[in-house]
Amino acid sequence: MVSLLLDGLRTTFSPGIFPFLVIGVTGGIVIGALPGLTATMGVAVLLPLTFGMESTPALVLLAGIYIGAIYGGSISAILLKTPGTPAAAATVLDGYELARKGEAARALSVSAIASFTGGMVSTVMLITISPILANFALRFGAPEYFALAVFGLSIIASISGKSPVKGLLAGMFGLLISTVGLDPVTSFPRFTFGEMNLFNGFAIIPVLIGLFALAEAFVQMEKIFEPSHAIETNFKRGMISLKETIALMPTMIKCALIGTFIGSIPGAGADIAAFVSYNEARRSSKNGSEFGTGCLEGIAAPEAGNNGVTGGAMVPLLTLGVPGDAVTAILLGALIIQGLQPGPLLFTKNADIVYGLFASLFVGNILMLIIGLLGVRLFCRVVELPKRFIIPVIITLSMVGAYSMNNSIFDMWVCVAFGVIGYIMQKADMPSSPIILAVILGPMAESNLRRAVLMYEGSYSFLWTRPIGVVFLALAALSLYSSYRRAHSS
Amino acid sequence: MKKAALVLALASLIFGNAAFAADFPAKNIRLLVPFAAGGGTDAVARALAASAEKHLGQPVVVMNKAGGSGAVGMTEGAMAKADGYTVTMVTREIAWLPQMGLAQITPDNFDLLALINEDPAIMLVRPDSKFASVKDVLEAAKAAPGSVKFGSTAKPNFYLLALELNQKVKFNQIPYNGAAEAIPALMGGHVDFTMVNPGEAISQIKAGQLKPLGVASDVRMAGLPEVPTMTEQGYPIVTGTWRGLALPKGTPADVKAVLADAFQKAASEKEFTGFMNGRTLGIRFMKSEEFKTFVDNDVKALTDIVEEVKKQQ
Repeated sequence: MVSLLLDGLRTTFSPGIFPFLVIGVTGGIVIGALPGLTATMGVAVLLPLTFGMESTPALVLLAGIYIGAIYGGSISAILLKTPGTPAAAATVLDGYELARKGEAARALSVSAIASFTGGMVSTVMLITISPILANFALRFGAPEYFALAVFGLSIIASISGKSPVKGLLAGMFGLLISTVGLDPVTSFPRFTFGEMNLFNGFAIIPVLIGLFALAEAFVQMEKIFEPSHAIETNFKRGMISLKETIALMPTMIKCALIGTFIGSIPGAGADIAAFVSYNEARRSSKNGSEFGTGCLEGIAAPEAGNNGVTGGAMVPLLTLGVPGDAVTAILLGALIIQGLQPGPLLFTKNADIVYGLFASLFVGNILMLIIGLLGVRLFCRVVELPKRFIIPVIITLSMVGAYSMNNSIFDMWVCVAFGVIGYIMQKADMPSSPIILAVILGPMAESNLRRAVLMYEGSYSFLWTRPIGVVFLALAALSLYSSYRRAHSS
Repeated sequence: MKKAALVLALASLIFGNAAFAADFPAKNIRLLVPFAAGGGTDAVARALAASAEKHLGQPVVVMNKAGGSGAVGMTEGAMAKADGYTVTMVTREIAWLPQMGLAQITPDNFDLLALINEDPAIMLVRPDSKFASVKDVLEAAKAAPGSVKFGSTAKPNFYLLALELNQKVKFNQIPYNGAAEAIPALMGGHVDFTMVNPGEAISQIKAGQLKPLGVASDVRMAGLPEVPTMTEQGYPIVTGTWRGLALPKGTPADVKAVLADAFQKAASEKEFTGFMNGRTLGIRFMKSEEFKTFVDNDVKALTDIVEEVKKQQ
């Protein structure tokens, strides 16, 4: 295996491959950072360009975009309160708060280091124990997915900011809109009012862009002639120190493992991993009460978690031939179009490609760290730009992003509608993140609950007879309890 | 009077186009795919587009427009300007979505251009399953109706309904979102069997992670010659899916002829056939008229099944 990896490294640094990795990672960071353009979109849009390429550079380019974009989403989350991708929605909570204190450079450097750690740990896990992870992931049936979704929903309590009731209301609203579309069991249209575009429900991307990017742009528009974003007043240029990095290591490694694990479960991706990581870091931290006010751990946890998914999501792709998340679903298509057989046969028939991919994940993560840290100063300049330039750009990108996910004008209207909803919520001091969490997890909870009931022929005994499910339900109870205690002690 | 004016306007439009047909195509041709990038329909479309460019002398740009089991993209394709610059990849969904009330368009809203691909359904179990043949699966379901769990890639599932109505059996259908979810559910032992298109599970079949029990076709598949048909095993069940090309209704005949010719050549191009064979995707080409009869027959064949689905809703 070591010699295969060394061969892979040699391939990665060859002149026919390395430039594609650099382009992929850099392009991915830019795509991720631009509000409205996501990792999934970046990979989907560039997929056709790879058809004429050799297999290895094509995969390296797409994998580079994937890891770059998952990290890049945090840049706009921190600086503009606008997550560039759904995976960075949890990073807003502490990242933006820290930036507002003038410590944007510290926030950005934590994010780069945590993303790097997440990516490296998950790549190591991918190379060493992917068969074990894959076998464990296969044990996830409908009851386990349902329990995982319930656990995820319990996190609403810990991301609701000052008022749990408002967070709960937002979460309920999110669950309500997640019921729009064809019924997952009978295919009967619900709340669609005959609108065909709603048959698949509200697409998550336009909802996210509306609630965060557009709503924030609307709020900032009120103060458009003030000099610039609120951040710059006492701007500090320093990044985090080595000592702080070492102190954050345990959190980052733990969250990287959470991300790898969630990534390896088909159907659960970086967005869920980021929230679960944030929640776990907060629960186990000594300074849990500082979360949400701009603490380093609150940035490190979701960023290590979401980049942990990048390696994890490759596990089912490479061992089972099924995608681990939305991005690897497109990578699967790329493999097929390249004439490769995803799944275990890839290791025996095309080991050079697999190990080339592994090596390029390592190198890609290192490139991401270097670009991320070198770019901190440059990124910070964004907030020094006058608002009257930034806001039109954000609105334009938002509309492009809402449209381009599915080439849909309808989605642009969805985005505008949620922009208005998000604006009203900000005015009412209601948190938006619970809506996103509910829109991601609501369909997962519903369809898996109903699947599980069908499997058990009408019985609900799966709630207490499936060990993995019981663990997640217990974690959900624990998560609610610790949020309750925190609310009462403060 | 108004009607006459409209006819006149339409006629001038059509003949106006005809005057330009000699230069057709003068710009990019858009191939609308009603499913997301990276899926099976997308793969077929992209491979075909690449081969068709040579014969059309213009780029063929694939545009994905997913949603509503294909209804969103196919509706847009039917409503597009009938100038030949928008070609839609239609799938078997067009035969049943309208009957289910899930799409406002029907095959009659299209000028059907050509059938490209047809795939049978294949029955799969885990290698350690207690079921070793199609017979075992059906016997178990007959002995205890509703006890055998079927991992369904979509609801309604016409493969399962074909099996159930033909054999008068009842399975416990567990609905998933596509093969990407149903296949891991089967591998993990959460359901007892599934039926998908061979191309969707070929990786797992070749790796020995899933075992094929029978093909729902009259003849064995070239890519999996060792797998017997269901008919051979005494169960005459023939079902599957198909994909073809269609134009908006009213596309000028000469434009249609140019496209038909180019796509027919593309479908027999070595690159395309090599790609399809490599992915165990079946090639079945039919010209416009034949394809129309084929679709009409499929719509009729699905009518009873759709009635059954509506009863279950």
